[in-house]
Amino acid sequence: MTTSNNNDAQKQVTLENLDTTPIPVLEKIRHEGRVWGDLCKQYGVDNPDPPWKVFLEGTCDALAEESCALPVLERRWEEDELSEELYQEVPFPERQLLALAHSMLRRGLIDEQELARRMEQVDRRLNMV
Amino acid sequence: MAKKHKPAPMVEEVSDFEILEVAVRELAIEKGLFSAEDHQRWTEYMHTLSPLPAARLVAKAWLDPEYKKLAVTDGVKASLEVGIDWVNSMPTKFGTPSDYCNLRVLEDTPKLKHVVVCTLCSCYPRPILGQSPEWYRTPNYRRRLVRWPRQVLSEFGLQLPEDVEIRVADSNQKTRFIVLPVRPEGTEGWSEDQLAEIVTRDCLIGVAVPKPSKTQNDKRPVHPAVRPVEHH
Repeated sequence: MTTSNNNDAQKQVTLENLDTTPIPVLEKIRHEGRVWGDLCKQYGVDNPDPPWKVFLEGTCDALAEESCALPVLERRWEEDELSEELYQEVPFPERQLLALAHSMLRRGLIDEQELARRMEQVDRRLNMV
Repeated sequence: MAKKHKPAPMVEEVSDFEILEVAVRELAIEKGLFSAEDHQRWTEYMHTLSPLPAARLVAKAWLDPEYKKLAVTDGVKASLEVGIDWVNSMPTKFGTPSDYCNLRVLEDTPKLKHVVVCTLCSCYPRPILGQSPEWYRTPNYRRRLVRWPRQVLSEFGLQLPEDVEIRVADSNQKTRFIVLPVRPEGTEGWSEDQLAEIVTRDCLIGVAVPKPSKTQNDKRPVHPAVRPVEHH
């Protein structure tokens, strides 16, 4: 698929102008989110990766290969930068997820308010039963 | 009467990270960055990946000198015999920039040890070796291995004599590498299946060597990098 994004807010981001200042919606997750390692200890699970990791990998590949919205090299460089500047205390792959969302927000591929709204919806859906 | 089985433990709560992953994916689909079908195709592809084909390639090469010749001269062709088609099995059907179609198999000898890195990002031969481990992605490993390979390997528990040359292979967008280690003593008469079991992911990256009693990767420390990232 090669559909282009019509979002006018899309920004040209390079490593030089990558904005590493904290993003409130992600900061809340960084500080309050429970990482897989802690959940595993609590529930006695020994799977090394959270079940959502494979979907995250799929998103990263699809963003690079289907629409070139976020090429691999740029995503990885930004992940390196954000991992050292902002998310250094977050374990992997939670750190990879935060960095991906950060890169997408800073590029205007998604919007902070709509991400917050969508997270509320997903939270309600996944916790309905 | 059917026996009652104790259910396997499972994480019984939804984390904010899981919610974030779903939200990001859904928004990307709604905005047309990729389709749900695209995502499903990539995810299914991820599920097929593991280090087993590479371990099988090494085991076959240890047992069959002709196959070893093929492996070190044409890694892509040799991969076909362990079920990996670098050109046609990608979700894109033509190989992808992130999993390019050129695999090189680096043969170790008693006096030569290869080890793989990607100094630029984290290029990795995913089709034949699965997902890269966390430590492989870190700037600390990527920067230090090319400068001080002997030191880094010793931190991984691999102490090499001074007379063993170490060659670091730097992966890139076009070429990926796996290591064909020296077959260890004590494996005489072993079958291909037995041999494949001791060729761990770390042996294939080159930070470990196969041992007859070892079938698991060690847990590796992940070190941060102190200096800022600089990409030139």
